[in-house]
Amino acid sequence: MTTVVRLENVRKEYGDTTALDGVSLSVSAGEAVAVMGPSGCGKSTMLNMIAGLDRPTSGSVRVHDEELGRLNETKLALFRRHRIGMIFQFFNLLDDLPALDNVALAAQLTGSRVGVARQRALELLDELGIADRRNVYPAALSGGERQRVAVARALMNRPALLLADEPTGALDSRAGEQVMDLLLDLNQIGQTLLIVTHDERLATRCASRVVELADGRVTHERTLERA
Amino acid sequence: MSSVWRAARAAVRRRRMQTFVIGLVVLLSTTTIVVALALLAATSAPFDKAFARQAGPHAVALFDPAASPPSQGPGVAAAAGPFGQVELESTDSVRFGPQGPLTVVGRADPGGPVDKLDLWQGRWPSAPGEIVLNEPVHDLDRMPPRSTSVTLGGHPFTIVGLAHSLVGSADAWVTPAQVAALRPTATQMLYRFTGDVSTEAAVEASLATATAGLPLTASQTYLVVKEQISADVGVYVPFLATFGVLGLVVGVVIVGNVVSGAVVSGYRHIGILKALGFTPRQVVAVYLMMVSVPAVVGCVLGSVAGSLAAQPLLSEGFEGLGLDVGIGVGPWIWLAGLVGVPATVVLAALVPAVRAHRLSAAEAISAGSAPRQGRGTRIQHRLAGVRLPRSVSLGLGLPFARPGRTAFTVAAVLLGVTTVTFATGLADTLVRISTIEDTAAGQIGVQPSNGLFRVAPDNAPPPAGPPATTTRTDEQVEELLRGLPDAARVTAIHRLPVSAVGQTEPLPVNFLRGDYSAMGYEAELTAGRWMAGPAETVVPTEVMRGRGLALGDRITLRLGGGQAVLTVVGETMDGPQGPPALFVDWSVLATMAPDRVVAPWDVYYQVQLVPGGDIARYVTAVTAADPAIDAWNNAQLSDFLVTVVSFSSVLSLLLSTVAALGVFNTVVLNVRERRRDLGTLKSIGMTPRQVVAMVLTSMALVGVVGGVLGIPVGMLAHRFVVPLAAESARVSLPLSVMDVWHAPTLALLGLAGVVIALLGALVPARGAARLTIASVLHNE
Ligand SMILES: Nc1ncnc2c1ncn2[C@@H]1O[C@H](COP(=O)(O)OP(=O)(O)OP(=O)(O)O)[C@@H](O)[C@H]1O
Ligand SMILES: [Mg+2]
Repeated sequence: MTTVVRLENVRKEYGDTTALDGVSLSVSAGEAVAVMGPSGCGKSTMLNMIAGLDRPTSGSVRVHDEELGRLNETKLALFRRHRIGMIFQFFNLLDDLPALDNVALAAQLTGSRVGVARQRALELLDELGIADRRNVYPAALSGGERQRVAVARALMNRPALLLADEPTGALDSRAGEQVMDLLLDLNQIGQTLLIVTHDERLATRCASRVVELADGRVTHERTLERA
Repeated sequence: MSSVWRAARAAVRRRRMQTFVIGLVVLLSTTTIVVALALLAATSAPFDKAFARQAGPHAVALFDPAASPPSQGPGVAAAAGPFGQVELESTDSVRFGPQGPLTVVGRADPGGPVDKLDLWQGRWPSAPGEIVLNEPVHDLDRMPPRSTSVTLGGHPFTIVGLAHSLVGSADAWVTPAQVAALRPTATQMLYRFTGDVSTEAAVEASLATATAGLPLTASQTYLVVKEQISADVGVYVPFLATFGVLGLVVGVVIVGNVVSGAVVSGYRHIGILKALGFTPRQVVAVYLMMVSVPAVVGCVLGSVAGSLAAQPLLSEGFEGLGLDVGIGVGPWIWLAGLVGVPATVVLAALVPAVRAHRLSAAEAISAGSAPRQGRGTRIQHRLAGVRLPRSVSLGLGLPFARPGRTAFTVAAVLLGVTTVTFATGLADTLVRISTIEDTAAGQIGVQPSNGLFRVAPDNAPPPAGPPATTTRTDEQVEELLRGLPDAARVTAIHRLPVSAVGQTEPLPVNFLRGDYSAMGYEAELTAGRWMAGPAETVVPTEVMRGRGLALGDRITLRLGGGQAVLTVVGETMDGPQGPPALFVDWSVLATMAPDRVVAPWDVYYQVQLVPGGDIARYVTAVTAADPAIDAWNNAQLSDFLVTVVSFSSVLSLLLSTVAALGVFNTVVLNVRERRRDLGTLKSIGMTPRQVVAMVLTSMALVGVVGGVLGIPVGMLAHRFVVPLAAESARVSLPLSVMDVWHAPTLALLGLAGVVIALLGALVPARGAARLTIASVLHNE
């Protein structure tokens, strides 16, 4: 199996705070890995390293055979655009665009024509069951709907790796379940997943492996049998 | 209160960038405002101010030398004198420095209750043989070095100082003992009156009352000088006032926008303060303090910078008019800079701060980011479907999210473009006028010597050696000039006042011979046409108006028993050097007074060379051919042109910079409010270049709108203001000089708005591109 993510001895310091203290981790294609740990242990930081949103203080981050440390800002942006889909706890949708355009945006940035981009966005929204909400602005969508729009946007450019930072953290349990199901489905059709979560249920339900972090270090790893 | 202070200090620290921008904007705006106010102040009654400062005399009265005129009397507020006065002829061989008969007055000191002289150079005479000349303040370093002595009426004097009397109560001053030795021909008294001094008649009546029937030999009121100086200054007034108003408005708009923007973008912070338990009053206090710190620093520095910038501009403009004493950055301008600007700042901060005061903590927190609903949203939605690169269409939508802020930014750019447009048009018009005048009046002036005077060109040392009288006749001089290499056109001009039927005073006439029709005077026509024959005349506007002439009028000139009838066929802006006079063909002079012999030194010759001709070589050739003939290069930039162009350049630069800073500030605020969106966009793969493109696009739109609106406003200003100035100068302008708007100029000006906007937006756009997404998303 090919390795999608390989972290080697990654350290990240913010001033006096050490967010990551020598983390090594690899994720293979098709895996679904859950990262867990107490608040402030460095989960989001690790995810940001993998997404190329931030650079490590030392150590190496390879994603899909790209050494991220070697990429400049533009290359990193292109890398994110084509390889990575990101989902955030608070959705991070653009409030002045309706659902459809929020999704289409990801393709339009790559230069796709409006028509083409909207067409694909609509297909994705349809697959995620919210096509009827396509012209609604984020402010008028429910939390679960917003997160599904965010997932659609993340999938827009067919990323090799889907990163999710507490995707159910801001949702009630019902909406959370729906998102979980969605992620599980995606993984089952081959999407590599890396999910940061506090939620043991989400981890056991979706992940094939759980990585535990504490104080910026990997303290424990376990493989799960999924139902 | 200390918690307020601590919160304000923390807020200032956390927003170094914004604090810096507020400081910088206030600094530059204050500079602009101070310069603008100084310009406006300079244009309002400059004479009155200078006159009051000198305690200038309302009347200068001359009595018999033996008389003892009263220094007190009914209606006399103050008086100075009696001073002995004598007229002395200047017998210096060089026509440089004092000319003709000089009025020399004996005064013990330059001060006194009336006519306090401005002794701006050297000292007051203390011994016989010492003299002080009356000259307005000017920069001596820019004048050629000149003699330190003069010979007046055969007596040698050492020039020990230069002083200025606004009303010109004398041309020179010596000690009272000296004037007594010179046997004064009159006694001078200087009076200030308590009563009405607004008209010539009123001043004369006051004078008559004061002197109680003592016979006056002569008198002059201050109104004569006032009239003349007001006309001189009047030319500058419309320009200065326009720039002044523009500067003032831009300064206030920008300061208001920046400060209120700072408060609006702090709403979220305000909400947090409220949630922490700050009372609404305390919150307002925190915000006022936060903007006041940089504002106070900015306006102090700006006031200093403004007065430093205004001083040279003003003395440049008013030097030579003798008004410099009354002009400058007065205390009320400092007051406006140091109190008015902070007041504007506080007001601009107060409006949104009070609104924040009313918001609940939760509302304030959510109001802190860009507005979520409304027109901006609809426009973004429309733009999403437009076939443009997505970063561009996103950028186009940004300005609509904050319509108020965008409107102010557009206004700033608009006014910047207006200023640049007006200044460009003005400079172009002035250059055209100057070119027309230079072509017509240039390139070489020639004046034969009569053995008494020599002419030295400006900024050159006077010719050395004793003057000789030319032995050539008028015709021979012309022949000489035509024969020298490179000569293309030669005109002989003889200036003569000629009586005319129906005119109480003689009309000033320039009799012209030679190539005058081809010299370029025709381009100065503002109405009618050029002369087609000797029976026609062209008249400068000033004479037209002063003498009540009109196109088509017939004028009967009378000279030496003969007479000639001329038809006025054209009006010109100006004419050959010297006071404006009718253009009349030389043959008319010959017809009216056939026996009249015109001496060569009464003729001024004007020579133009073939294209590429060497003026300096020609000038040397003239003097070499006949040392008794002076020739000089006539081409010179007019002071007026230089002054106005430097005014407009400085103001354009200042206002454009301030406008660009306004844009800068808007972008900084927009980026801060939208940093979460920016983080999101970058997380889904927006490249740094796309971020820059998006931000620049948003401001380019502002620049285009500002430019498109600003250009016509600037053109309108030019259209109205230039003729206004011409009116004060009593000239009319040829249409060609107003016709300055051509496609290339307009295209360049159209770019001005975009350039201002992009320059202002570039730095914060790149900052936005460099934002670390992780920390943005981490902090939101
Ligand atoms: N941009 C940043 N600047 C400064 N410190 C940061 C930044 N991002 C993270 N940190 C610090 O690094 C440490 C790890 O943060 P991180 O966000 O990765 O934790 P986390 O495990 O995601 O926590 P949570 O479960 O609360 O989301 C924390 O102490 C945090 O304060
Ligand atoms: Mg986290």
